[in-house]
Amino acid sequence: MKRFTRAIGGPLGAILLLVVLMSLAMIVAGTSPIDGFTALFGGALGGVNQIGETLVATSALLFPALGIALAFRGGLFNIGAEGQLLMGALFAGAAGAQLNVPGPIGIVALLLLGALGGGFWGAIAGWMKARFGANEIIATLMLNFVAAYVALDLVSGPWRGPLATGAETAWLDPRYWLPTILPHTRLSLGIVVALAIAVALHWVFTRSVFGYDLRAAGEAPEAARRSGINIERLTWISLTLSGAIAGVGGASIVAGELHRFNTQLSPGYGFTAIAVALVGDLQPLWICVAAFGFGILESGGLAMQASAQVPKDAIHVIEGLIILVLAARRYVSTRTEAATS
Amino acid sequence: MATALTLESVTKAFPGIVAVNAVSLQLNAGEIHALVGENGAGKSTLAAIAAGELRPDEGTVSASGPVGLVHQHFELVGRLRVWQNVLLGREPRRGWRIDVATARTRVAELARSNGLDVDPDAFVDTLPIGIQQRVELLRELDRNPSVLLLDEPTAALAPAEIAAFFATIVKLAQRGTAIMIVTHKLQEVIDYASRVTVMRHGRIVERIDAKASSVEAIARAMVGGELPAVAERAAIERRPLLQIRALCAGEYERTVDGLDLDVQSGEIVGIAGVEGNGQTTLADAISGALDYRGTIEPALAKGIIPQDRHKEALVMNWSLVDNAILGRQHGAARRGVTIDRKRAASDAAWIVENFDVRATSLQAPIRTLSGGNQQKLVVGRALIDKPPFVLAYNPTRGIDVGAAALVQSRLMEARNRGAAVLLISFELDEILALADRIFVMYRGAIVGTFDRAAADRSEIGRLMAGAR
Amino acid sequence: MTSLIATLVLLTLIKSTPLIYAALGGVISERSGVINIGLEGMMATGAFTAVCTSYATHSTILALVCGVAAGALVGFVLAIAATRFKVDQIVAGTGLNLVCAGGAAYGLVLLFNQPGASVQVDALGSRYWMLIVLAFAAAVALQLLLYSTPWGLRVRACGENPRAVAAAGLDPLALRTYAVTISGALAGLGGAFLSIGELNIYSDGMTAGRGFIALAAVIFGRWNPLGATAAALVFGLFEALQYVLQGRIPWLPADAMQALPYVAALIALAGITGKVRPPLSDGVPYER
Repeated sequence: MKRFTRAIGGPLGAILLLVVLMSLAMIVAGTSPIDGFTALFGGALGGVNQIGETLVATSALLFPALGIALAFRGGLFNIGAEGQLLMGALFAGAAGAQLNVPGPIGIVALLLLGALGGGFWGAIAGWMKARFGANEIIATLMLNFVAAYVALDLVSGPWRGPLATGAETAWLDPRYWLPTILPHTRLSLGIVVALAIAVALHWVFTRSVFGYDLRAAGEAPEAARRSGINIERLTWISLTLSGAIAGVGGASIVAGELHRFNTQLSPGYGFTAIAVALVGDLQPLWICVAAFGFGILESGGLAMQASAQVPKDAIHVIEGLIILVLAARRYVSTRTEAATS
Repeated sequence: MATALTLESVTKAFPGIVAVNAVSLQLNAGEIHALVGENGAGKSTLAAIAAGELRPDEGTVSASGPVGLVHQHFELVGRLRVWQNVLLGREPRRGWRIDVATARTRVAELARSNGLDVDPDAFVDTLPIGIQQRVELLRELDRNPSVLLLDEPTAALAPAEIAAFFATIVKLAQRGTAIMIVTHKLQEVIDYASRVTVMRHGRIVERIDAKASSVEAIARAMVGGELPAVAERAAIERRPLLQIRALCAGEYERTVDGLDLDVQSGEIVGIAGVEGNGQTTLADAISGALDYRGTIEPALAKGIIPQDRHKEALVMNWSLVDNAILGRQHGAARRGVTIDRKRAASDAAWIVENFDVRATSLQAPIRTLSGGNQQKLVVGRALIDKPPFVLAYNPTRGIDVGAAALVQSRLMEARNRGAAVLLISFELDEILALADRIFVMYRGAIVGTFDRAAADRSEIGRLMAGAR
Repeated sequence: MTSLIATLVLLTLIKSTPLIYAALGGVISERSGVINIGLEGMMATGAFTAVCTSYATHSTILALVCGVAAGALVGFVLAIAATRFKVDQIVAGTGLNLVCAGGAAYGLVLLFNQPGASVQVDALGSRYWMLIVLAFAAAVALQLLLYSTPWGLRVRACGENPRAVAAAGLDPLALRTYAVTISGALAGLGGAFLSIGELNIYSDGMTAGRGFIALAAVIFGRWNPLGATAAALVFGLFEALQYVLQGRIPWLPADAMQALPYVAALIALAGITGKVRPPLSDGVPYER
């Protein structure tokens, strides 16, 4: 039984499970799997426009997934990527309305603000964990809700755009829009930034001393502590970096696709990103591939819903099942006193 | 002579190793039987199978009654009371509740009738290790076992306590219980056992009549030949190196309060003592893993061999290369912000070469190595940068005789080169073999000092037990 | 003024009740050694199942029973994953939360043909107070169960050292399975209160993180049923305060105020951790 679990519990098994379950969902909805998958892939990759949307979703998922992977490698479970993403987007959207600098500088500034917003949000949880030993799972999740309400409050009131119809900031000056890299689509330079971060993270994990320390802390916390690694400092830095990467993702959505901030900009990217990170086996380069796969699901899902009558929510259920199955792979050492104090 | 326990052709395999290989064994009622073998021979696995905790892949186990097992590392619930631990699963009831009063009396009575003094209400994690063992023993005795298995029962006892322990065991045997003791204390085997079964690499290699044999004969049977030699002690000039003054650290039972210690270069200082007298606190304070008050001076580069390699020294899923630089990644193996991979690889190769680490490749995950080889890597890593000070805490615990001899040799060689070695060990024999000076530790303080030449085993034993 | 206090007290009780149930679930699960991150999903499942059952049968009793059963089922899944497959309990709980939340959303479309919320169904109405009383009764019952009965002793031993339980001749995996299944049942009941006790409808995301606030209550209450209940009351008070104060104090931002219970949980977490110790084997899968 255990060997069965081990075989099916890897990323390949997860993908297989995905295909099987989606076929089932299609059959339940009264469509043949062939029609269903055709609709899905057609909707995701059928034309330039569709490919653009798929890559937009890929980019949006890739940022938080990388952040989650970084934290998880260090033994920290960050389920607050959604809130960190939101805060990064908020900072970028709010500041973007006030900026008055040359275009390229402004774009960089927005991305950095995204890192700042997300990093700040991650740092709160990181500090709580490092200083008080507070459970980061609960902390990051609580912060998701706090972020949502704080953001809603700010963009309904003080930060609301003068011409806005709902709770959102003003539109960004076109100077500060991330350039589109696929003509006639919404796909912006953001995806290149995401890929660059993935490569950088790969290097950090495999070559850098920080990466070595991080992985040691995640896999053998007591041995790591005794080897001279400052676990508290590492905790705080990892959660901050994790949030910062997610935050850049939020800023990328604002500067690249939406060109303003509103509270609806993420349909749960921060949570889907958990599945992306796990399917990518916590390795940055594979996470890029996984993000693309989930990007197909996100953008093709709408088409599948329209033509094959399979509700989009079925995808979320399947994502949850994938995470459940992948839980059999123990990525980090089982949480012990040493890891939490 | 009634047979109390029969093991017939028992085999048990784990991934990568056959722990127990076609073992047949018979225990008679009222006998005291010793099961010996070096670390990794399969003794603990066999005991677990005999007690029904593990199911064998092949073979049968049959007993004339319940089989009790007192584990090497106690399986107790620290946060529960003594009576709760003893009666877990057999709690006396009154309606839907536990009948606490009956439970307490029952445990007190059981303790008294077996000559084991313990407070039924005490929380187990507040008890010293020697007393905790009594709790585990009581738990097994409450089941009225026909067979009682004890795995390394005297490892954590002072010499005086050992005598009392065996008095209890002898009385139990006289009442008809079959007793099997898994041990590596061969003198105790000669003193108390009637028959000896010797295991090596999972098989039974010899059955010996203890009354007609000797410690040396049994040791030779265990190892299957002569014991490997340890490096010679060299004459060397000594100089003061490390000073510990007024060290205060730790909490509860593990406190060290006002300890003074001097270690010189070119010597091995042995800290003798029974487990649970502050040794871990001392080791952790010196290695920097624990905060302390007092002084440990001067700040030196230290090679550390911790007592628990699985938890404290290695990342089990990582390769030998990655583990070879754990603890050195901020210094010797660092190149700017990156890890010096070439250095890591060459260091791993050096350790494998010079410390006889047997592994399929440098990239193999270290959990695939045997305990002895893992420990040799840890020791090699501790010594590779030739640190002026070495802390070795139970460096040969749980590893095979060959690996133990190599580790001890390397420590001696380090000493001969001028390093100061602080050896903390629960094995008095190891201390007596290696140390130039011996300190005895009891309840967190040094209670006696001996020079190698003047070391008196029985005197040391008395001090270890707290005598003045 | 008195009517304000009365309103506050009543609202606190109402808001605390789902938290109490979920927190009790968290206590029994963690005491047995399994971290239950899936409380949120179990609540959602209980809430959704209760509404569906009520819609189909018009029987609120049956709806409650089914809500409990559904929660227990999800709890059982986590139990098996943790004991049989020895998975990372936190990842598994997170996956379950997604499955349950997505499943409920999926179910809304399948059964009610509309996303976001169900139709209004028969609910407890004025009899909601029964579930509030039951919550406190359950807290006392769990306290007695854990600390006075043999089963409770064994479960607590499982959470501290399952090897000791095995050495005593018992089966720690079976004990953990029972504990986690009961945990799901309790969370399911808490969810059912949310949907057909306090309201008469199920809407997407109505659990709003309560499963996690309950976990904070477990920690704040030191893994003790009565302590967790007290902590749940405190968090419920903050949620009630947010309602009562809304609009009364003009300069308080209404939307941001909704973050109050979450901030309270954060502060509680910061204050108590490090001073308390979870069961020693909490979250550690038992391997023979």
